[in-house]
Amino acid sequence: MTFNIALGLLSFPVLLLLIFLRMPIGLAMLIVGVVGNFLITKSWNPSLSMFKSLTYSTFSSYSFSVVPLFLLMGQFAALGGVSTSLFNAAASWLGHRKGGVAMAAVGACAGFGAICGSSLATAATMGQIALPELRKHGYSGALATGTLAAGGTLGILIPPSVILVIYAILTEQNIAKLFLSAMIPGILAAIGYIITIAIVVRLRPHEAGQPYPRVPYAQRFIRLLQIWPVLVVFFLVIGGIYLGWFTPTEAAAIGAAGTGIIALFNRGLTRRVFVDSILKMASATAMIFLIILGAAALNNFLALSQLPQAAASFVSGQGYNPWVVLTLILLLYLILGCFMDSLSMILLTVPVVFPIVTALDFGLPPEEVAIWFGILIVMVVEVGLITPPVGMNLFVINAMSKGTPLSQTYRGVLPFVVSDIVRTTILVAFPAITLFLMRLLY
Amino acid sequence: MDSSWLGRAVRGLAGYVALAGGTVLIVITTTTVVSIIGRILIPLGLKPIPGDVEIVQAGMLFAILCFLPWAHLTRGHAIVAILTDRFPTRFNAFLEFLMDVLMLAVALFIIWRFQAGLFDKIGNRESSFILRYPIWWSYAAGLIGLGTFVIVAAYCAVRSGRNAFSANPVRPLSEMGE
Repeated sequence: MTFNIALGLLSFPVLLLLIFLRMPIGLAMLIVGVVGNFLITKSWNPSLSMFKSLTYSTFSSYSFSVVPLFLLMGQFAALGGVSTSLFNAAASWLGHRKGGVAMAAVGACAGFGAICGSSLATAATMGQIALPELRKHGYSGALATGTLAAGGTLGILIPPSVILVIYAILTEQNIAKLFLSAMIPGILAAIGYIITIAIVVRLRPHEAGQPYPRVPYAQRFIRLLQIWPVLVVFFLVIGGIYLGWFTPTEAAAIGAAGTGIIALFNRGLTRRVFVDSILKMASATAMIFLIILGAAALNNFLALSQLPQAAASFVSGQGYNPWVVLTLILLLYLILGCFMDSLSMILLTVPVVFPIVTALDFGLPPEEVAIWFGILIVMVVEVGLITPPVGMNLFVINAMSKGTPLSQTYRGVLPFVVSDIVRTTILVAFPAITLFLMRLLY
Repeated sequence: MDSSWLGRAVRGLAGYVALAGGTVLIVITTTTVVSIIGRILIPLGLKPIPGDVEIVQAGMLFAILCFLPWAHLTRGHAIVAILTDRFPTRFNAFLEFLMDVLMLAVALFIIWRFQAGLFDKIGNRESSFILRYPIWWSYAAGLIGLGTFVIVAAYCAVRSGRNAFSANPVRPLSEMGE
């Protein structure tokens, strides 16, 4: 009994060691899961019989099928030329301000996040449009790349969101409620980034470049109308899930079809580009599902070891202050996020962390804790995408901006990391902000 | 990229298998959308495609298994290289070889258990709930992706093994993708 719990505890350093020896994360989870299972049951047979059906049941799961469809939707959205109209619309409203071109980039990222569930795709797509504009207007490499790396994280936060879907499946929460609850934090994130830019360009005026000329209001509304395809797809997908018209998988299929049609009409879909985006989606899907398969094996072992229950009852039995525990957990994610990708972190930790958090008393009903914690966790793992030394968004954007050293990008993104931490602190302190829409609409 | 005939052949195989999976995914998307339109237009006498959920499930299994070899070949799997980047090239090349061997072992393990599952399903004649197709069909189709995965994993292990033990090893990629 205690031996098993100790084994469960021990599996985490072993897993981290393997991962830090550059073992693919999904592979490491699978191997540790199978070996751990053997150590507990003293027999290979449970794993052997489990894997007769585990691959089948994991990869043919209807709830997980939403993941590749959202990825496909994001890939098509990236081809559609919607990024240009989003940027133009945002620029007409924000572009004339001090630091306006960077603010427009954030606004466009937020808009793109509404039809794309992944951060890397958002950063890469908006980077192609906004980076040349920023550099042309004389913005420093640090501010330009920092803005886009941070703006890219809005792709995860603003629904649809692949990570939120996975959290919802792991913890058996309602996807519609999670998406709804992510809206206000997502908008707050965008506003926070815009404020950050306003502060940075005032403190360090040489970082900012020329603004755009002011655009008359009539023109602004016309530009806004031109993003209607984005709005249609967004409301069909998110509204459709919320109103119960579609299952999440159906909504994702509609989203993928919608952005595919937009790409066709904008002539973004040549044969070569199409093949390329399918292969990118294939690679991203396989990466995610190898991790999901590994996590299934690992979680089977963890459940056998009874570590999650033991950890939860230990933490709640000690009478620790729930807010302190929550803060420590979020800090742990921030630190892990400096090295690991967000999805692996969620799949690796949620099975142990979630029972602990839901066993704590925050004065909220259990479902609200689950939803609120989901948003918080997505927010802190998303910070991991922009924290040095390993932040995928930083690498993607830096590679696109020739002549900007990586150290400049690291420096440029720091104010945005501060903005993320301030926002997370506010949302931790006031759960009502996150839960407002859900309480209003359900 | 490996430009030998073997390298090109494996790359071509993995690429076409991945595209086959992508095609199935697009078929699933279309099926789902058509089914939804049918459901909305029930008043006009249309109806949803029966068993659309089962089509999604079967197609998804096939597609994802077809994606695995491409991701492995093009180094699409998530790794953490922050620590090992500080080590010498040969050490990294050796680690990559070791991980490729383990990936091959796991690929063989998965396909071995998967075919055992296949024979279970042939034996018990389990079929899907609505469309009544035998579950073993899904398993059998999945062998295309998994078989390719084993071939690609073997090729990758040989490729990185030759690199690790060569006079001048090439430094493996530290981040995702080619």
